[in-house]
Amino acid sequence: MVNKLIFANVMHRPIRTIVSVLAVAIEVAMVILVVGLCHGMVNDSAKRVEGVGADILVRPPGSSFMMGMGEAPMPIKIGDRLAELPRVLAVTPTIVHVNAVQSLDLIYGIDLTSFNAVSGGFVYHSGGPFDSPYDILVDDIYAHSHHSKVGQTINLLNHDFRICGIVEHGKLARRFIPLATLQDLMVAQGKATTFFVKCTDPAYTEQTTDAIKTLLPGYTVLPMKEYMDLMTSNNIPGLNYFITVMIGLAVGIGFLVIFLSMYTTITERTREIGILKSLGASKTYIISVILKEATVLTLIGIVAGIIGSVIMRKFFITLFPTLPVELTWNWRFYAACLAWMGSIVGAFYPALRAARLDPVDALAYE
Amino acid sequence: MVLAAEYLVIHQTPHRGARKRKDYVEPIIATRGLKKTYRFGKVDVPALRGVDLIVQEGEFVAVVGPSGCGKSTLLHILGGLTGPSDGQVCVDGNDFRLMSDSDRTRFRRHKIGFVFQRFNLLPTLSARDNIAIAQHIQGNGFNPHRFDVITQLLGIGKKLAHRPYALSGGEQQRVAIARAVICEPKILLADEPTGNLDTENSQIVLDMLRELNRTFRQTILMITHNPEAAGVADRIIRMRDGRIISD
Repeated sequence: MVNKLIFANVMHRPIRTIVSVLAVAIEVAMVILVVGLCHGMVNDSAKRVEGVGADILVRPPGSSFMMGMGEAPMPIKIGDRLAELPRVLAVTPTIVHVNAVQSLDLIYGIDLTSFNAVSGGFVYHSGGPFDSPYDILVDDIYAHSHHSKVGQTINLLNHDFRICGIVEHGKLARRFIPLATLQDLMVAQGKATTFFVKCTDPAYTEQTTDAIKTLLPGYTVLPMKEYMDLMTSNNIPGLNYFITVMIGLAVGIGFLVIFLSMYTTITERTREIGILKSLGASKTYIISVILKEATVLTLIGIVAGIIGSVIMRKFFITLFPTLPVELTWNWRFYAACLAWMGSIVGAFYPALRAARLDPVDALAYE
Repeated sequence: MVLAAEYLVIHQTPHRGARKRKDYVEPIIATRGLKKTYRFGKVDVPALRGVDLIVQEGEFVAVVGPSGCGKSTLLHILGGLTGPSDGQVCVDGNDFRLMSDSDRTRFRRHKIGFVFQRFNLLPTLSARDNIAIAQHIQGNGFNPHRFDVITQLLGIGKKLAHRPYALSGGEQQRVAIARAVICEPKILLADEPTGNLDTENSQIVLDMLRELNRTFRQTILMITHNPEAAGVADRIIRMRDGRIISD
């Protein structure tokens, strides 16, 4: 019977219902998408680094594990000393430039021969390797999103680069230029940002790591497994705060809309609450009716939000193919719980106010 | 029959021997010196100035009087919707002085049925659900036999699927009466039940109340302005300025 009353009330004011549901849906979708985007970007970046196929990363002393952080302070000759270590199969130096023109991404300068030795080589969708200093390789996702074809030019660092090849995605970056070219452009001749080290067998990773630490005391030496463990949103400076603030904002929107919606409902239905009280409905009964109504609105909003997040993700991927959005069931559940809690808190004061209404005054309400 | 004041004295006496008196009949409603004062800002407005009333079980009592004489306030206090400012109220053995707000709510749920001038049906529910919700709130579950008997008696069997806006005033009031009596309350309190109805529908509603009183020996306390409506009752109480002036 209470369910009938609640559904009748929900259907009685369709605009109010739609606005409330929409607010909860936006809240849920916002939480899922913001978290999905942050986690997606971090995980995508980590997977591409892992995709190089190296077992160990060597970074300058005191540097962050994040690839885009830091300049190129390591002499490239370190690579030769690393290659001489026992159980090291190949070493490749890379230099990274953070490109903030038009879009924020990392451009890697690579030595193609040694990079191929570590990674096993690129799979070319079209074109081929670097032919001149101002050649650029792009991955298929970048090519698809920018409608790039072999032979086209890209302006980068105030220079025109010719697309010489389109490669399968998943190895380190979306755009690569020759190591020497990027060193010149960054005025970092003979320097590198990161060395990728491949062992003769992954089982030797620990021993080789120790050997590198002995060889290069103070340098950041990270086995790939450790790097992957570090690449989470918890370890990215400020990212968790950003996520928390965005979630707080989303929950705040949901809370306020449900609060206002239920508060308006209580005022509008004062007389009906008086009727229920005249029938002997207890405070608990009245509170439960209001909270259940808020829960129904929230549940519909949660479902709409989850569906909306899937649609929005497809929309994002269509518009920005390089933008990874990871939707996880964990965060769908958390977003639903947050929305529900926000709604219950938002509906509680109006419910309490309804329960405390004087029945005589409520019955006389016009 | 004992007077209200005498009943309340008896009721408060720990020694129950007095109840064995042959002429003693425990009233279903008893008030003594009942007062109610509303406060508007800094002004006290007395609504009841000392009402002594006894109603026996099964009686059909009409309370008449001009607007503002305290009729509705009396009804609200007897129904437990509001508390008295002073005096004693005992309804079906329940002394309101000893009852909290939630006790009075529980009491109202099980012992009182209300019928209002403006029908007060829930607009989003059908007639059937408007009646059934009273049973739900009472917590005893849906009683189909009682439901059928009441809806047949009140002649609303074919209107149960309709929402209030699709019913005439008379039909709405009959649904409201059905809702009020579906849980077999001890007392039916009717506040101007014919106030919003035309003559024909008023007569139908009064006949229904009379029928309920006869069929189920339902105690009814009805407030009305209408002398013809009051004539249906067994007993007419007149009020003026917050007091009973004739009984």
